[in-house]
Amino acid sequence: MLGAPSYERDRCVTGIRGLDEILRGGIPYGSAILVSGTCGSGKTTLGMEFLMNGARAGEACAHFSATEPSVKLLENVRQFSFFDMSAVDQGLINVFDMDVLFSWLGLDKSTFNLDDIDAMVKAITDIVNTIGVTRLVIDSVTSLCYKVPNEQLIRDFLFKLGKSLSTLGCTTLLIAEITSVGGTAHRSAFGVEEAIADGIIVLGDVERMGHLLRYLQVVKMRGTDHSRAKYALELTRSGVMLTPMLKWGVSD
Amino acid sequence: MSINFDPDDEEYYGDMGSIGSVKFDRILTGTPLNTGSIPRGFSILASGNAGAGMDLFAKQFASVAEDPENTILVSTSETSNEILSVYRKYDWPTDIRVRTMGEEYNKEVLTRELAASRYRIEGFTLSDIQKLAQTRFVEQKNHDFLTDLATQVTSLGPYFRAVIDSLDFFYSRFDPARVTSMLRIMQAHAQRNRGLLLMTVSDQAVEKSTERELMAICDIVMEFEVGMRGSDFDTRMVIRRFRNAPENLAFITFRVTPEEAITPETVERVA
Repeated sequence: MLGAPSYERDRCVTGIRGLDEILRGGIPYGSAILVSGTCGSGKTTLGMEFLMNGARAGEACAHFSATEPSVKLLENVRQFSFFDMSAVDQGLINVFDMDVLFSWLGLDKSTFNLDDIDAMVKAITDIVNTIGVTRLVIDSVTSLCYKVPNEQLIRDFLFKLGKSLSTLGCTTLLIAEITSVGGTAHRSAFGVEEAIADGIIVLGDVERMGHLLRYLQVVKMRGTDHSRAKYALELTRSGVMLTPMLKWGVSD
Repeated sequence: MSINFDPDDEEYYGDMGSIGSVKFDRILTGTPLNTGSIPRGFSILASGNAGAGMDLFAKQFASVAEDPENTILVSTSETSNEILSVYRKYDWPTDIRVRTMGEEYNKEVLTRELAASRYRIEGFTLSDIQKLAQTRFVEQKNHDFLTDLATQVTSLGPYFRAVIDSLDFFYSRFDPARVTSMLRIMQAHAQRNRGLLLMTVSDQAVEKSTERELMAICDIVMEFEVGMRGSDFDTRMVIRRFRNAPENLAFITFRVTPEEAITPETVERVA
C-alpha cells in the first residue's frame, strides 16, 4: 500500500515581509493571482515590490501598465527605497505601457472582439516567452476587462491568459480595482476574475478606533495552505510590511 | 465679416469662371464669348459611376488655374505621378498645388495596419520587445484627413479654385454628418471668397439622406453617366441643378479627345 504523498509545489518567494509566511513559503509557481483592492490600498506598490524582489534574484520580470503612464508609475515608485531603477535600465524589470502595446497591435479602440482578445493574449504570452519572464504584473486587469464587451469574453480572456502564462511557468499578479470590500461578495469588478484566478489577495481598509488601517487578506490560494486572517498592511519607504491584526476593536 | 476684393482682381477674374472647357462654357452661357460659365462663389457637385470621366473632369476643372498658387487639386485615389502624367498629356499647367490624400493615407495608416497585422500573426521579436519596453508614449498617429482638408481649402484666398476628387474617401472613413458639416464650411468659404469648389462623389457612396444634403449644399449638381450605344460607349453629363439658371439644365453627351480632354458633342436642354 502506498504511503500518503507529501508533494509540495515549488514556490515563487514574493520577498514581501509577512506575505511568504502567510502563504507558507510563497506563491505556487505559475499561478495567476488576483490582487483586488480599493484605490490607495497598496496594490501597485505590492506589485512593484514583488517584481523588484524577483529582479534582485536575477529573474526577468515584466509590468504592463494600463492605468497610468509608465513614466509616472516609475516616478512614483522611485520614492521607495526597495526600488532600484537600474533593474529597469538593465532590462530585469521590463515596463510596458498598455496603450503603446494596443497601438502596435492595432487595438486602439474602445471595444475588443474575440480576435482582439486573442491578439492581446498572444502578445503578452510572446513577450513572456521571448524574454523568459518569470514574474509578471498586469496593472490593472480591470481596465483591460472594460474593453471586453461581455462576461463570457472576459472569462475567455482571463482563462486563456492564465493558462498560457502558467504553461510558461510565469507567476502573475493580476491587479484588480474594486470600489469597496465592505462585504465579501465582490472581490473583482466583473465577478468572473475571482473564479478564474488561482489565488485571491484582497487589499482594503478597515476602521479601527477612528483610524483607517490598510489590511491584506489571502482569500484563496490554490496549491498551498495559507492563513485567511486579515493582516495589517503598512506602506513604508522600504515597501509593504504585513503584521498580524489583533482581533479586538475591528468593526468591518 | 465682409471681404474687400481688389478691383484689379475683380476685373481679372470677372464674375464667371471656366468649367475647364471653352466649348462647355459656351454651351452653358449660350454665347460664343469666352467668359466662363460658373458664377464665382459656386460649389459644384459632380456625381456618377466609375469610368464616366469624373476624375478627368476634376483635373480639367483644376487645370484652368487662373492663379496656380491659389488652386488646389485634392486627389484621394491617384498618385502625384499619375496626376502629373495626365496634366502633361493634355499640356495643362503643372504648377498647381496637388494633394494626394489617398497616397498619404496609404503611407500613414495602411503601413501601420500592416505592421499591426505582422505583430498579430508573427508575434514580437526580441528587438520589437526591447523597443516596445522603451516606448513610453503612443505616437500621435490619428491624422485627421478631414480637418486637414477643410483647413487646406479654407486657407485659400479670394478667387481660389479647389477640387476634391473624391468625397468617397471621406464618407467611407469619417462620420457622414461630420463630413457634410466640413463641406458646408468649405462651401461658405467659397461663397464668401468668390472661389470655385468642385467635389466629386461616386454613385451609392453615400446614403440617400446625405446625397440630398450634398445637393442642397451645392449650387450646381451634375451627373456623369456611361452606357453602351451599339458597340460604343456613350458618356454624358446631366446638369440637374444650376442655381438661379434653370435654363442651363441639360443632357450633354461628351467624348474625350487627345487635344481637349472632355469635349461636348450634343446638348439637349431640359428647360
